Amino acid sequence: MSPPCNTDLGYIPPDGGWGWAVVFGASISVGFAYAFPKAFTIYYKELQAAYNISYGQIAWISSIMCATTYGGGPISSVLVSRFGSRPVVIFGGLLCGIGMVSAAFCTSIFQLYICAGLITGLGLAFNLQPSVIIIGKYFLKRRPLANGLAMAGSPVMLFILAPLNQLLFDNFGWRGSFLILGGILMNCCVAGALFRPIGAATGPTKSQKEKPAIETLEEQPETGTAELPGPGKEEEEKDRDCCENFNKYLDLSLFKHRGFLIYLVGNMLMFLGFFAPLVFLAPYAKSLEIDEYSAAFLLSILAIVDMVARPATGLIANSRWVRPKIQYFFSFSIIFNGVCHLLCPLATSYSGLAVYSGFFGLAFGMVCAMLFETLMDLVGASRFTSAVGLVTIMECCTILLGPPIGGTLIDAFGDYKYMFIKCGIVMVLAGLFLFIMNYYNYRKLAKEEKRKKHDVAPKDRQ
Amino acid sequence: MSFSQARSIPPLLLLLVALLRLSDAGTPAPTATVENTSQQTTDSISKSKELESTTFSPGPSGPSKTTEDAKQQTEAKTPDLEAVKYNITIKEFSTVVKNITLVEPTTLELSCSVDINPSLDKATIEVMWRMGNTTVKDDNVTKGEHQNIWSSQYTVHIKNRDQLGTYTCVFKTKEKSEGRFDVRVPEVGGKSKSLVSYEGDSVVMTCNSGKYVPFDWVWYTMNGSEQAVINDTLRPEKYHVSKKNLNITKLKVLNLTEKDGGVYWCEAVFLQLGESRGNASLKVLTYLVPLKPFLAIAAEVIILVAIIFIYEIYTKKKEPQAEGEKEFEQTEQLKSEDSNGVENSTTRHRKV
Repeated sequence: MSPPCNTDLGYIPPDGGWGWAVVFGASISVGFAYAFPKAFTIYYKELQAAYNISYGQIAWISSIMCATTYGGGPISSVLVSRFGSRPVVIFGGLLCGIGMVSAAFCTSIFQLYICAGLITGLGLAFNLQPSVIIIGKYFLKRRPLANGLAMAGSPVMLFILAPLNQLLFDNFGWRGSFLILGGILMNCCVAGALFRPIGAATGPTKSQKEKPAIETLEEQPETGTAELPGPGKEEEEKDRDCCENFNKYLDLSLFKHRGFLIYLVGNMLMFLGFFAPLVFLAPYAKSLEIDEYSAAFLLSILAIVDMVARPATGLIANSRWVRPKIQYFFSFSIIFNGVCHLLCPLATSYSGLAVYSGFFGLAFGMVCAMLFETLMDLVGASRFTSAVGLVTIMECCTILLGPPIGGTLIDAFGDYKYMFIKCGIVMVLAGLFLFIMNYYNYRKLAKEEKRKKHDVAPKDRQ
Repeated sequence: MSFSQARSIPPLLLLLVALLRLSDAGTPAPTATVENTSQQTTDSISKSKELESTTFSPGPSGPSKTTEDAKQQTEAKTPDLEAVKYNITIKEFSTVVKNITLVEPTTLELSCSVDINPSLDKATIEVMWRMGNTTVKDDNVTKGEHQNIWSSQYTVHIKNRDQLGTYTCVFKTKEKSEGRFDVRVPEVGGKSKSLVSYEGDSVVMTCNSGKYVPFDWVWYTMNGSEQAVINDTLRPEKYHVSKKNLNITKLKVLNLTEKDGGVYWCEAVFLQLGESRGNASLKVLTYLVPLKPFLAIAAEVIILVAIIFIYEIYTKKKEPQAEGEKEFEQTEQLKSEDSNGVENSTTRHRKV
């Protein structure tokens, strides 16, 4: 197997050993971050009755939670650059716990927006990004597999949380459930404890690689991050002003990085049509005269296939045939997802919808498993810390827009099929864009490396 | 009994027939008048009815019901709306049930039609109408205009809860063909699971009567072993009843205490036709109840985190020397990799 790409971390990642414990912890964190907002919707009916508000007002909690989880990305990245993954995740877990416990004592819907929406969402953000970042630090050769396994935490956690939430609600009402959920979310601290810091441990080693910013990191030998500063800006340590300081923690020069931009544009386009079919699958089934339990079972089929698809995709993406061209595999899975949605209107019976759910689960899992792996592949593990923060805050807009646009289409045409067609078209376009642009990118990278090789060879002789 | 006898009192007969015509609009007026006259006229009228084969609303014949029927007559003088028609089509030798839901006094025109095999060569079929267990009408029907459809009608004015129940038409063919009309007030939906709330908090209980709007709602609670009406004007700081959309009612109980737990009934009152009940049960807990699982989970988290940290320190202490050696190896590796780093990144693309 070819040793893939950027070894600019400053050390060799272990690719195993304690890394598997880190993967386990990461899957818990990622699972909570993605599954908790979805499972939380079980309480909406009761909250609506208790506060005497409309569904639209209650749904704001979901939106705020989602927006803070994604929008808190850059803050996460900065904190991880400064302190490392472990303290941030533990703090995130505590924040989630505090948020939900205070939500249990809320007396108005605005307090709920802040406690359950803002604080908990921020805590989840402090869980999501650091978990993904630390995988890049522990794995290199088996990174796609590790990513796939970590992302598999999301469907597993949803499977556990959804019935658990219902059970808690039946026994304790919504206030008691929030209190207990606060406790459950604190398990993210356990996940965080597993994130042992790793990295080039000593100062002299780093200085050999001519990274001037290391001097500041020497004070924190435990952080294990070798943050690559903006090119050319931090050559002079004394020349630091506020902007450059900021750049050290959040690498804004990424916006000049070709691969990063390709990823950003392609993914923002994709997320316009990514979550909407998931949100509307059950209502669509009910509109076709399918009963509630069968409609809920469709989502279970989706979750089960998703659970299996993620690690499997990680395994496939790790193989030596796929890993070098992993971007093409990612584009393919997005196009596959889009085609599934385009074919969905043809399914009018329950068995047709069940088949669609199975394929949707497969495609969904494939895309999710490779979501962060492809970014790591493009920008490298050391710049990934900033990249993930910037990507999540920019994707935040399209993620939030997707379901409401779908909803407007459904209301305007009175038919669900236009929403599926729109999602399908958007995703196929996104996949094609990524495919073509990555082809171009691969070619450019190959040319650049050929050139570098020619440059290095004469240097060696000298 | 015979026409010759009837001819002896033509004016009275004409009057009665005129009243009968009025009755076709759906009031039970003739019943009352029939009862006031002699038996003869009763018989003659029933005969003329047979000839005309129109519908009339029968009442149980018998002098004991006179006062009630008189009351009915006075009440029936109010102008009535058109009768609401319900029809059941029965295939031969089977039973069909239809549910009729009423919210106010209505006149119902119930009809049963049977589809019978043409091989039957009878001229008439006997039909019996029943309410509950008592027979209310016996009829003989002839073939209708469509070859094989035989139908019978029965009109009833539902005034109060006594008339709610099951009306059955039985066609006395070889094997019975039955059609059943279940006439009742709408059911009220409550919640099957109990609501859980906490001391000092407030809770909202809802009852829904679907698409039917009752005249009023009343809430009851258990006071010891008796039912007590909840009056929100009497204790506005405790109860608040909202009936904004009349098919949904909400009871908000404020400042909950443990005593407030138990079963609550919401009763939908339908004018003159009776009531329909739904229930909701409430459990009031103290905050100590969920606090225990919370503390258990928090303790579990702290213990796990402590174990992980202790394990980490333990493994670090175990290999202080080995680490130093590893570091040295790593630096050597990195030095050699440094110069090859550029080439390493190219191999990724070459190996496609």
